[in-house]
Amino acid sequence: MSKLKDIIDRNRAWYCLECGKCSAVCPITPWETRVYSSPRLLVEKALNGNLENIFDDPLFWSCLTCKRCSELCPSDVFFSEFVRDARQLARSNGRSGDCTHGEAIQTWARMMTAPDLDQSRLEWLNKDLKISDDSDTLYFVGCLPYYDILFRSLGIEGVEIARAAVKILNALGVEPHVLHDERCCGHDQIWEGDTETFSALARLNLERIKATGAKRVVTTCPECARTLSLDYPKLVEDHGLEVMHLSRFIRQQSPDSEMNLSLQKMDGTATYQDACRLSRHLGVYEDPRALIIATGLDLVEMEHMRHASLCCGTTGWTSCGKVSKNIQVERLREAKATGADIMITSCVKCQIHLKCAQQDPELGQELSIKIRDLTTVLADRL
Amino acid sequence: MRNGKIIVFTCNWYAYTGLETAGRKHLQYCPSVYPIKVMCLGKLSPGIILKTFEKGAAGVLMLGCLPDECYYTFGNRHAEEIFQVTSRLLRALGYPEKRFKMDRVAPGDGDAWLEKIDSFVVGLNGDQGSS
Repeated sequence: MSKLKDIIDRNRAWYCLECGKCSAVCPITPWETRVYSSPRLLVEKALNGNLENIFDDPLFWSCLTCKRCSELCPSDVFFSEFVRDARQLARSNGRSGDCTHGEAIQTWARMMTAPDLDQSRLEWLNKDLKISDDSDTLYFVGCLPYYDILFRSLGIEGVEIARAAVKILNALGVEPHVLHDERCCGHDQIWEGDTETFSALARLNLERIKATGAKRVVTTCPECARTLSLDYPKLVEDHGLEVMHLSRFIRQQSPDSEMNLSLQKMDGTATYQDACRLSRHLGVYEDPRALIIATGLDLVEMEHMRHASLCCGTTGWTSCGKVSKNIQVERLREAKATGADIMITSCVKCQIHLKCAQQDPELGQELSIKIRDLTTVLADRL
Repeated sequence: MRNGKIIVFTCNWYAYTGLETAGRKHLQYCPSVYPIKVMCLGKLSPGIILKTFEKGAAGVLMLGCLPDECYYTFGNRHAEEIFQVTSRLLRALGYPEKRFKMDRVAPGDGDAWLEKIDSFVVGLNGDQGSS
């Protein structure tokens, strides 16, 4: 287990200039009214070396690790990674964040570490969707079948995204592997400091992916894409697999502006919600936008967009509350202000969180905008 | 990591009074059964039930009130939703249906309480519930 000094060293916290740019853009800082809390201040507390001061800071567990601060930091302090590593230290000190949804999501992830678990997670597949055991491409479904069950009452798209992904891959001439015994990728575990569960999940996933002989992994979840492409090689094993989000894969298959997919044109305007893991973490900004434009929709941007986009307000299923709700409401108001007919996201978590905020009976009308995943929007036009 | 415990969540107003009557009558039930009283089954959540299985429970039974007789009016509707969502999550995780069930007991009915427990235990283990 890393000591605080190692965590500070590794993530360049020594270089903090205390300029406060991070505090100016942090989505949490303006809404956290219990006590003034900002990334700069948290780094300062770390440099002072008192662990309890860090762990008791409200930002420590509510930080979205959305990397908004990293975009502006003149010293390249890896604040999100600093928080991630320090949360591992906090766990070893018996501390943890407040889990949401009765800890259901963290619990099923831990249950998935059982090697002999016999899941039935492919019930969404239908006879029109073609999968294969002999393909160089694997579609990593992630937790979609589980989110579909837990959040169906919010009207989210869950397994519809998975169906749409296979439909698109089939239209591109790819019949992917789909694993019946896939596990949660471990994204939330690593960002909440639970490295033990993360490692167990990652090993099981890599074992199963390798057994298929696939060379490429395509995901519809930005978190899975980030975790498999960046965290697995660094923390578990250099797997040598090519990992990418579906939007990137579609564009790779058709590098010209003309898509291989023959998309029926549709009228209307759409705005795009950059998922933090896909945009700032993986640098994918253009692919989803190009695909939206390819459907014929007019793309209109929100006030905060691309590198400066606002996160959906919660990460890792912890610390959801007033602060998260305010961020979500702010984001939905920005979407409404564009006048778009539809808000398109590339992450199921964005959809869950924003649709949850739309349930507010007082603000319902003010925040009402159709929210859909990029994958299902594209598949509908095939 | 099965610990063999059978957790029975009982609502305070119906199922728990059944358990109290069963106790007064010295009715015996399977020693692996651990009743846990909650004010209403509607206050449970999929998370707490999944956690029960994560910690090794052999089975979980939600034992509540009769339809339309909830002390809190809406609690049994919540309980039904929680049961449906949790059942689907457990099925996706590969847990057989027999390990998680929901049933109802009239207030103070000790015999019915015992019968429901026995039938759950027998379904779970395929052996005798009460001695």
